Amino acid sequence: MSLLELERATIRFGGLVAVDEVSFKLQKGDLFGLIGPNGAGKTTCFNLITGVYKPTSGSIKFRGSEIQGTPPNKIARLGICRTFQNIRLFPALSVLENVVVGGYLRHHTTLASALAYLPSALKETRRLKEEAMGYLKILDLQDVPNARSADLPYGMQRRLEIARAMATKPELLLLDEPAAGMNPLEKQDLMETVRRIRDQQGITILVIEHDMRFVMNLCERIVVLDHGEEIAQGAPEQIRNDPKVISAYLGEPV
Amino acid sequence: MKFWGIRFVSIIIAIVACLALQAFEGGRSDYEQRIIVLIGLYITLAVSLNLINGITGQFSIGHAAFYQVGAYLTGFLTVTYFAKQPIHNLGAWLILMMVVGALGAAIAGLIVGLPSLRLRGDYLAIVTLGFGEIIRIIVQNQRILGGSYGMNVAPKYKSIALVWMLAIFCIAVCRNLLKTAHGLPFLAVREDEVASSAMGVNVTRVKVTAFLLGSAFAGAAGALLAHFEGFITPTTFGMDVSFIILTMVVLGGTGSITGSVVAAALLSYLPEYLRGLKGPDGQALQIAGYNVVAWLIAVGVAVALIRWAINNYHGPKAKKYGLYVGAFLVGFVVRYVTSFGLKFIPGLAAKLIPVDQVRMLIFAVALIVIMLLRPQGIFAHHEFSWSWVRRLFTRRPVPQTAVSA
Repeated sequence: MSLLELERATIRFGGLVAVDEVSFKLQKGDLFGLIGPNGAGKTTCFNLITGVYKPTSGSIKFRGSEIQGTPPNKIARLGICRTFQNIRLFPALSVLENVVVGGYLRHHTTLASALAYLPSALKETRRLKEEAMGYLKILDLQDVPNARSADLPYGMQRRLEIARAMATKPELLLLDEPAAGMNPLEKQDLMETVRRIRDQQGITILVIEHDMRFVMNLCERIVVLDHGEEIAQGAPEQIRNDPKVISAYLGEPV
Repeated sequence: MKFWGIRFVSIIIAIVACLALQAFEGGRSDYEQRIIVLIGLYITLAVSLNLINGITGQFSIGHAAFYQVGAYLTGFLTVTYFAKQPIHNLGAWLILMMVVGALGAAIAGLIVGLPSLRLRGDYLAIVTLGFGEIIRIIVQNQRILGGSYGMNVAPKYKSIALVWMLAIFCIAVCRNLLKTAHGLPFLAVREDEVASSAMGVNVTRVKVTAFLLGSAFAGAAGALLAHFEGFITPTTFGMDVSFIILTMVVLGGTGSITGSVVAAALLSYLPEYLRGLKGPDGQALQIAGYNVVAWLIAVGVAVALIRWAINNYHGPKAKKYGLYVGAFLVGFVVRYVTSFGLKFIPGLAAKLIPVDQVRMLIFAVALIVIMLLRPQGIFAHHEFSWSWVRRLFTRRPVPQTAVSA
């Protein structure tokens, strides 16, 4: 059974078909790439999977059960978590607090115990903070736990988003252009980190990325979208030489 | 066990302090007692609105409605019950009424909270504003509740202690929320709803909880007000009250509990303080002005001296504390010398209009000045803490963790 399965997933906004009958399957442990030119429907695809939008038709299955139409917070509980293309941290919160919010869905105490300041709630808070520190270490952010997240430089903010998503302990992690705005060195680092997350934590990863080199080097399988339609699917070498992909990215020869 | 020890002691201290306040102030005039009670009630209202507005980021401007629901519900219950049989233990009855008022207001909070879940920012503000007016107008048109004439709540029960216990309880609950991980989803919803729901935060639930808690405290405050005043009218809970509470939250610094408390105390006391400064020639205002200037200079001098002592004197501890005390004394001397000196500036006072006429003008100008000088509020998003007090006196604030690019 595949971990995630999109079957002819389609969404229309009025007359615009943003995602048109896209199907692909992710196996557990995959490092999967989703690429395509601007406006191809990649982020919309993410929004479908994470429950921000409900598909007009088609189905999305996670671990064999259909999840389309489930609200985003429940999807996160099921084990799918994401980062955002335009970074969406909680700007006024500290780096550590941002990650604790991610871990919060696995807390085990009631709100009442927190309001009464019972030791159980404090213990839980400490536990969540310790766990969060662990995730900060993985993303190499352990030196700045108390900085306001809005004050972090761009690259660190991107990494913090990944740490926050990992704190929800997902089975499937969706990264929306994680390398955008990074310099080549940072990109290299990020690539290693993402691979390490997959190898060590066993988290399946689906990446949207514009940087072809990044995707080709990182991903093991790739789906290419153009104008909401799936135009190719396969291993990086296959994609690199696919005439449809080349024409989508470079245009038709005149 | 240390934890429970501290907990137990601090609760006892809080209760004793409230009872002591009651014992000391209970003998004062009705007017003065009323000011003390109103400060306590406004602290409760501001801190509870801060939970909705500042911490959860839901812009609600109808807080007086919940206050009103609590007041009228419990007032009505007391009157109805008392007509049938006398109430012997009024204190216990009032505590029961606080709970009832809180529950009633919480239900009202749920009613306004649910439809507003789909609304954000300005739209939510309009809905809550409208809700506040609806409640007021409904009450105004109920003959059984006294209509526009108001309702006599008998028997009255004046309890300064209960008012302040409620205020402290409200502060404690909000502080506890922020001190544990459970407060973070509330802040996260304020910061970014989309991101919070992607992180598994149930945004709906968080918002409803904030509305429930916030309105419950306002309802309990309303119960206390009704029984303290013994007479309530719909105008007691008009739009202006909602705006005053909102002003307290914004002025104190949105999201800061400390800020809400300080601003609530300030804004509920200031109009009364200014009221006291009557005088045909405005002399009282002049003296008050001098006093404020003198206090500012004196505090400045004292803080500067203490800073100097901390940073430059490294001798025995006893002498060091002596220096601190000395700095305070110098501050006092400076304060009296300054106000004495200022009194010799002639002619200013006679030209001023009687203060009781410009009371609210001064109040408004003070608000505008504060918001211009410090738009993020007096405390911004900071909270009171002992380390903050320590930093105030040392030369340089402890730097936040440095971020290297």
